[in-house]
Amino acid sequence: MRHSYIDQYSGLDSIVARLDPRIKIITFLSLIIFTVVTPASSRQEFCLQGLLAFAILSVSRMPASFIFKKSLVVIPFVVAVSIFNLIAGRQTIGAFSAIFAKSVLSVVYLILLVATTRFPDLMKAFERLKCPRLIITILSFMYRYVFVIEDELMTMQVAKESRSFGGPALFHVKVFSNILASLFIRSYEHAEEVYLAMCARGFDGNIRTLSEFKLRAADGVFLFAVSLIMLFIRVAGAIR
Amino acid sequence: MHIPDGFLTTNTWLPAWVVSAGGIGYCVRRTSRLLKERMIPLMGVMAAFIFAAQMLNFPVMGGTSGHLIGAVFAAILLGPYAAAVVMTVVLIAQCLIFQDGGLTALGANVLNMAILGPACGYFIYNIIRRTIKGNAGMIAGAALASWASVVIAASTCALELSASGTSPFPVVFPAMVFIHAAIGIGEAVITCVMVSLVLKVRPDLIYQKDARPFGRRDLVFGLAIAAILFLLAPFASKFPDGLERAAKDLGFAAEVK
Repeated sequence: MRHSYIDQYSGLDSIVARLDPRIKIITFLSLIIFTVVTPASSRQEFCLQGLLAFAILSVSRMPASFIFKKSLVVIPFVVAVSIFNLIAGRQTIGAFSAIFAKSVLSVVYLILLVATTRFPDLMKAFERLKCPRLIITILSFMYRYVFVIEDELMTMQVAKESRSFGGPALFHVKVFSNILASLFIRSYEHAEEVYLAMCARGFDGNIRTLSEFKLRAADGVFLFAVSLIMLFIRVAGAIR
Repeated sequence: MHIPDGFLTTNTWLPAWVVSAGGIGYCVRRTSRLLKERMIPLMGVMAAFIFAAQMLNFPVMGGTSGHLIGAVFAAILLGPYAAAVVMTVVLIAQCLIFQDGGLTALGANVLNMAILGPACGYFIYNIIRRTIKGNAGMIAGAALASWASVVIAASTCALELSASGTSPFPVVFPAMVFIHAAIGIGEAVITCVMVSLVLKVRPDLIYQKDARPFGRRDLVFGLAIAAILFLLAPFASKFPDGLERAAKDLGFAAEVK
């Protein structure tokens, strides 16, 4: 079974991959917010931000084709919104390119953040940054079990397709819903067993790890450099 | 449905973040009181189930395909508070793993699909379940509630987009509601069949806590919904602007005024 593991490039050794996950989250989150609040009219700023994103991308040594393929996810939304605007007769090239640039840049930053960090490290960093621990723990659990459940779902789907073909659409919808319902019951029972197994091993609601994060000088330099460039872009955009 | 980054302006995504954070914080407290530390594995595996179920596409009419959202199904089985937490975790994971929905827009997405959609859906389901006794009431309630949750989530999404000036209200609102009224039928059929199978196999899994006659707590819940709508009212006051703007662009502003 094939899955899209998000951290498949976290093993790459690059300046970005080696950064402290906490610094990485703060940097990329501020980059995203910075992009989103850029005034729609300043095309120059978007070009400079594109250069910045490209620079970080090349430093991270991630394959550009991977990022390009994943950033296509925003295209349907941009198209839908432009159609709505076209119908209303107020579509402008400026507004269209601003929304397009903002969403693509944000997606590239988000991919750079999650793809260069191991998922457990990312979760732990979010927890260190005072995100609600409960949500983080549930999220880590989900990530652990989503592949198990997906495998089961794919097996059931293969079984359905090898036995039933043709016939009215309603029949397929019914079979499909029954598959999902029995998957739900199986998952629920699975969760109960997991919980009992964890109790037997002394689980009390907290997840403990041995490794600790350590800030290095390189992390500070990276954050400082990126904030300086952001400031420069803003000033350049304001002067014009 | 999942709003990407850059589609919402700060005066929309920031309030949406604040409202969702408060709402989810409340739901987490309510759920942990009910389930204690047992909830962590249960919620995690349930979130994984919803996530996996959403990845499976089924054919809708005309060659397009849709996928289940599952918010009302989760609410019927886990209760409204736990369902909101599970849906939030699913939305965070979709944002991080598939970049489906942005990080700044996460608050708005959580508000639409994890709080307002399921809460209103569950409210409708519960009224029908208490009016019509037995399994028939539950299944009818599940159908109507899941359809309504999809339409409500789509319309709040349209409100947010138009409040940001991304898309004019007179176009985006009817378009979103119309498209999702069709998608909601698929959701309703699937939720119906799923609930009836669970009723046959493990009826004990259905969340039964609210299955009692109407009382004071219903009043509190209704007031809470009213309060949320009241909080959204400042956005609503922006719509005439959108209409006026569209009118101006189309050249009949003088007639509107």
